[in-house]
Amino acid sequence: MDWQYIRQKLRPIADGLFGKQRISRYEKPHYKVRELDYMLAKLVKIPALEWRNYAFSREILNGKFNDSQRLEWARKSIECGTLYANKLIQEYNTSDSDELARALGLKVSYPQYPEKTDRVLFADFVMPDKINIFMDAIYRAERLLQKHAIKRVLTGKLNPAKLILAHEIFHFIEDKYKQEIFTKTEKIRLWSLGFLHNDSGIYALGEIAAMSFAEKLCDLPYSPYVMDVFLVYDYSPEDASGLYEEIMTLTGLEP
Amino acid sequence: MNFGVDFIIGSILLLTFFALAWYCIKGYNLMIGFLVITILWTVLPLGGTMFVSEAFLKANPVLLFGEGTGTTLVSILNRIYQSAPEGWGTTLVNVCWGAWFGRVLMDTGIASTLIRKTVELGGDKPVVTISLLNLVTALIFTSMTGAGPVIAIGVIVLPILMSLGVPKAIAMFTFMGSVAAGIYLNPVNFAQYRAFFIKPSEMPDFTLGWYANHWGYAALIIMLVVTTLLAMLYLNRSKSHRQWAAQTRTPQASQKDAPIYTLILPVVPVILNIAFNFSVIGGFIIAGFAALFLCGRMSGTFRENCQLVNKLYYEGVVDTAPLVGFLLTLPMFNEVAKYASPYFNVVVGGIMPTSELVVCAVFAALLFMGLFRGPMTLVGCGAATLGVLSNVAKFSVPFLYGVFAIPTITVNIGCCITQSWVAWGLAYTKVESRDFLKLSIPNAYATGILQYAAVYLFLTGFGAAWMVG
Repeated sequence: MDWQYIRQKLRPIADGLFGKQRISRYEKPHYKVRELDYMLAKLVKIPALEWRNYAFSREILNGKFNDSQRLEWARKSIECGTLYANKLIQEYNTSDSDELARALGLKVSYPQYPEKTDRVLFADFVMPDKINIFMDAIYRAERLLQKHAIKRVLTGKLNPAKLILAHEIFHFIEDKYKQEIFTKTEKIRLWSLGFLHNDSGIYALGEIAAMSFAEKLCDLPYSPYVMDVFLVYDYSPEDASGLYEEIMTLTGLEP
Repeated sequence: MNFGVDFIIGSILLLTFFALAWYCIKGYNLMIGFLVITILWTVLPLGGTMFVSEAFLKANPVLLFGEGTGTTLVSILNRIYQSAPEGWGTTLVNVCWGAWFGRVLMDTGIASTLIRKTVELGGDKPVVTISLLNLVTALIFTSMTGAGPVIAIGVIVLPILMSLGVPKAIAMFTFMGSVAAGIYLNPVNFAQYRAFFIKPSEMPDFTLGWYANHWGYAALIIMLVVTTLLAMLYLNRSKSHRQWAAQTRTPQASQKDAPIYTLILPVVPVILNIAFNFSVIGGFIIAGFAALFLCGRMSGTFRENCQLVNKLYYEGVVDTAPLVGFLLTLPMFNEVAKYASPYFNVVVGGIMPTSELVVCAVFAALLFMGLFRGPMTLVGCGAATLGVLSNVAKFSVPFLYGVFAIPTITVNIGCCITQSWVAWGLAYTKVESRDFLKLSIPNAYATGILQYAAVYLFLTGFGAAWMVG
């Protein structure tokens, strides 16, 4: 029995008597933990269009849409992302995210940002031209990629930092071409009262298009949505398994 | 100045007060802190009667006990350590039923549906959506309270705001501010704080309805409007964000929508109480069971339904448990402050403000002392300040309530990182404490100053019937 053990056992008593106030913590839901290579092997087989229910499940206006609207919008968003990826590759003669970011005048920084909770942040685009790629998640992903079983599924084409940068570049492009790009011009009428009305954009369209843009730019044979499970796994295999379960359920597949 | 034994004891008591303030600010256990100070404030004032002058004792009959006085030392100790916490039991049952009702609103999906429907009105315009969400959040927290419900609503609201491009610190500040705004009309919090000033049986006219009509609505509206306006101002200055984050879905986020007509239920207990002075617990039971039946949560067997109601009650009580120990120690402290006050009067009686206008001005200037469980917040060392202030000067209960509610609700609950659910929010959104405080302290002052103006306008000049004791 060492001192650490005794301290650990005595801590609740000391906390109760002299310790700091206990802070209420949110209790996360629990999931069955699965092997990463098993989950990735299933996820890489999901076609881009089939990710739409997962994408829309994070959309704040999802309750107002029906399935055919989601299908139509997802299809057009994927086309939009691919179209702009091709356009940029042609215009700048490169498909490398770093070179493209430089050519577009983007300020990219790579802070180390340790994650502690069930919300793992990969990157942040700050309008008009700043991108933060949070390296903690990337380093962990790179460590996982050294395992043969993982690399075999995700292929040698995957460079997590470049992929995430590509995704964020699309948000810059979206903002730059906001008057004409589909993901910004498509609106839904939320309510109208006489001449008063509220038309809103749909965030999920930008996300779906950004994934398709990044997929094209990085020439990946699967949707970058796979990163949601892959990059979370090293933080919490249980949370990653939860996301996997949700994705499989939303795409109508057996987990 | 008289430097007799009474002054020396008064000075030692004042030192213990500052020691308690330091203890609270350091974030140590409040229950133990108040228990220790209660013991000290029992021993020093009552033990001190053996050494103080006859004249001092005659001028302060509260300190007289023993033969020929009709009061025994044991009866005083019983009042402090038995009757006082027992008396607070009536408030505790309100807390438990309120916690149950909060759990019902979460379990039935009413709270999450309300948030989702609100967002569907605002769409992708952050300013409109923030305004609507703040209003609905405040309405929800007029009946729900405790860390559990705030976290349950926070895990829905915060990701929504962040997905709208609202910087996370602004999302945190505006959500926590609107929770606190709702607390101003929350019957459970009202009963809790009322018990700091008077026993539940005293002053029956000082009801939630009376308080709401005189000042509560104004306090809520001021906090809601100022928080929303500041959020818009901050948003205007900041750059929009777009984040790629992976997050497991919370059970609340994936809940099915509750029927539209049930969305009124969160405010039913408050409306019943304010409009008809209907019992708070009765309101919780009516609205709670209506929610369970109308949302189809009572469709199981009788046994299953009983288990569900029981489970929600258990979870609700667990939500409030961390505060119960502290709140059951406080009445002892409130009682013992009566015996310490004659000594305080000797030391600080001359400098304590006795004018309502001066109290409002001083408290408004010192609002920052409501932060970090400092000497202004009732859920911190403010209970000691109240003990001193209410015993050395004569103020009405509604006035004192307003004066202390502002640092407690606006500053501590709405703007301070020591509030349990704010601490949770900081960890959840990964906002740095200083970034949150940079936004919340201006809100505490802007809101607090306006609320003190409202206290002076609406809660001053009451007669003897409204005075403490």
